[in-house]
Amino acid sequence: MTQFLQIVVSGILLGGIYSLISIGLTLIFGIVKIINFAHGEFLMVAMYLAFWCVSLLQMDPYVSVVLVVPAMFAIGVATQKIVINPILKAPDVMQIFGTVGVGLVLQNMALFLWSADYRTILTPYQSINFELGPVVFSFPRLATFVIAMLVSIGFFYYLKHSYTGKALRSVSQNREAALLMGIDVNRMYLIAFGLGAACLGFAGCLLLPVYYVFPSVGTYFGITSFVVVVLGGMGNMKGAFLGGLLIGLVESISGVYLDSTLKEAIYFILFILVLLFKPNGLFGIRES
Amino acid sequence: MKIETINPEILYFSLFAAVLLLLPLGVTNNFYLHNMIMIFFWATLTASWNIIGGFAGQLSLGHAAFFGIGAYTSTILYLKLGVSPLVGIFCGGVLSTVVAAAISYPCFRLSGPFFTLSTIAFGEVVFLLSSYFRDLTGGAVGLLIPFKPGFMNLMFREKIYYYYITLALMLVVIAITHRIANSKMGYYLISLREDEEAAKAIGVNTAQYKLYAVMISAFFAGVAGVVYAQYILFIEPKTVFSAELSTQFALMSIIGGLGTVAGPIVGAFILTPLSEFLRAWLGGSYSGLHLAIYGVVLIAVVLAMPEGIVVWFNEIVRRIKARTSKQGEVNA
Repeated sequence: MTQFLQIVVSGILLGGIYSLISIGLTLIFGIVKIINFAHGEFLMVAMYLAFWCVSLLQMDPYVSVVLVVPAMFAIGVATQKIVINPILKAPDVMQIFGTVGVGLVLQNMALFLWSADYRTILTPYQSINFELGPVVFSFPRLATFVIAMLVSIGFFYYLKHSYTGKALRSVSQNREAALLMGIDVNRMYLIAFGLGAACLGFAGCLLLPVYYVFPSVGTYFGITSFVVVVLGGMGNMKGAFLGGLLIGLVESISGVYLDSTLKEAIYFILFILVLLFKPNGLFGIRES
Repeated sequence: MKIETINPEILYFSLFAAVLLLLPLGVTNNFYLHNMIMIFFWATLTASWNIIGGFAGQLSLGHAAFFGIGAYTSTILYLKLGVSPLVGIFCGGVLSTVVAAAISYPCFRLSGPFFTLSTIAFGEVVFLLSSYFRDLTGGAVGLLIPFKPGFMNLMFREKIYYYYITLALMLVVIAITHRIANSKMGYYLISLREDEEAAKAIGVNTAQYKLYAVMISAFFAGVAGVVYAQYILFIEPKTVFSAELSTQFALMSIIGGLGTVAGPIVGAFILTPLSEFLRAWLGGSYSGLHLAIYGVVLIAVVLAMPEGIVVWFNEIVRRIKARTSKQGEVNA
């Protein structure tokens, strides 16, 4: 029982970061109506940025947020402006290839510039654990989870109550109507992509103390975020939030009982099944 | 002789085939032959991808699965049961076709990026399963085929044999693509790519033709996989099932010209030597750069000439022709 509780806890802690990554992906899809196939690679860039902040500027990884998040926002806006805007009305194939191309460039430039080495940082608090009853919490994982939750909740609040947030939601509901109401839709696209990438800025900084960084690190997180977003319903932010926690839980529980390779295979089979039979996501909530 | 009476496409194809058939008379260096063989592999695979990805517009990013299934089928049959790869070619091709039909049929109801997501997931599943079933596939370590030259084993000391085998394979795929492009099926595929609902409304059985397209596509990928295994004599999940491989088929095709007969061939003939050149030029620090450059080229093509090099080139030729004929009139 204690062991099971421990597994559940670590699953949920893991899920927090998936939620944050997936919220970024689903936000971009919901508003720009484009699937960002380079999502994992943006996360990889964020992790490298955080890594350089720590190793070159001697910053604390959690403090590096102040540099990494604005940088990621700028990268997102630039991507939207240079690559996505010109192909917004292009056929699906071109849209897919636009972002696949961005991912290919980012991942391989990282490989070329920074080599395939796994890099990690040392923090004074990485081995601090504390116990709550029978369950052990590792400090960096807990911190990562708590901050991810705070950022997600802050993000929901922003979308719900700020003017820009309302404008963003109106664009996601109906492009034309939003345009008629005097909302600068193209600006909203830039902001949406920027915010999506900024979520990854947070995620990158939060992941760094608990994970390695290497050029293809994004592949795994990217694919996982697709799974989460499809589970939660494409473009559905709350779905992505819950889906992230669920996937973290599933991953942690199945990790105990199944070979890790087989586990991943089952994961993707489930993904295909959900795509086929539950295209609106497991929770069946449609974003109004 | 009136050259106008010959279909120019057939003429170009024959010229292209003749040059490549005669090329080994002048080029005997193994390094160049190897590069040509690799170009033929890429061209074959890219052209096979183009049937489903280009003509039918079903953008698959999991096509390496069919290549790998072909390679593993014949290799496992040969290593475990001693079945000749000559039979293995057939088995590999057929198994790829069957798997493709089984997995694609339900996935075809997904459209656009959602279909692409399902193919990525499918590619990952096959990759993971091939690493998991160690007893059968050797797991991540891969399978080594002992070198026993002979026609029955489809292994040869001289590269020239592989040159002609892969060349033949590529020419067959080009011929079949050309045939599809100029048949009813080609028009059906293009119609369902452009607007599936409209195609259905005028009576095209879209599900059936997409299925035909993916089966033909997977068959040739599987056959190419078998020949690849017999040429390299070593297969592992990381090389034959990699997502990178799938991306490259799509990429060469789109850079050359999606849904055209010549596009994938042009893409493969440009990009394969480019990556070889970068490898030679940059040596050890080369890793990743060729793919990064592919990515830049891909974005450039998407933004600047979304129809691909072939269509872009034809357009330029047309303009030059129009200009010169105008000048001719003026001079006359």
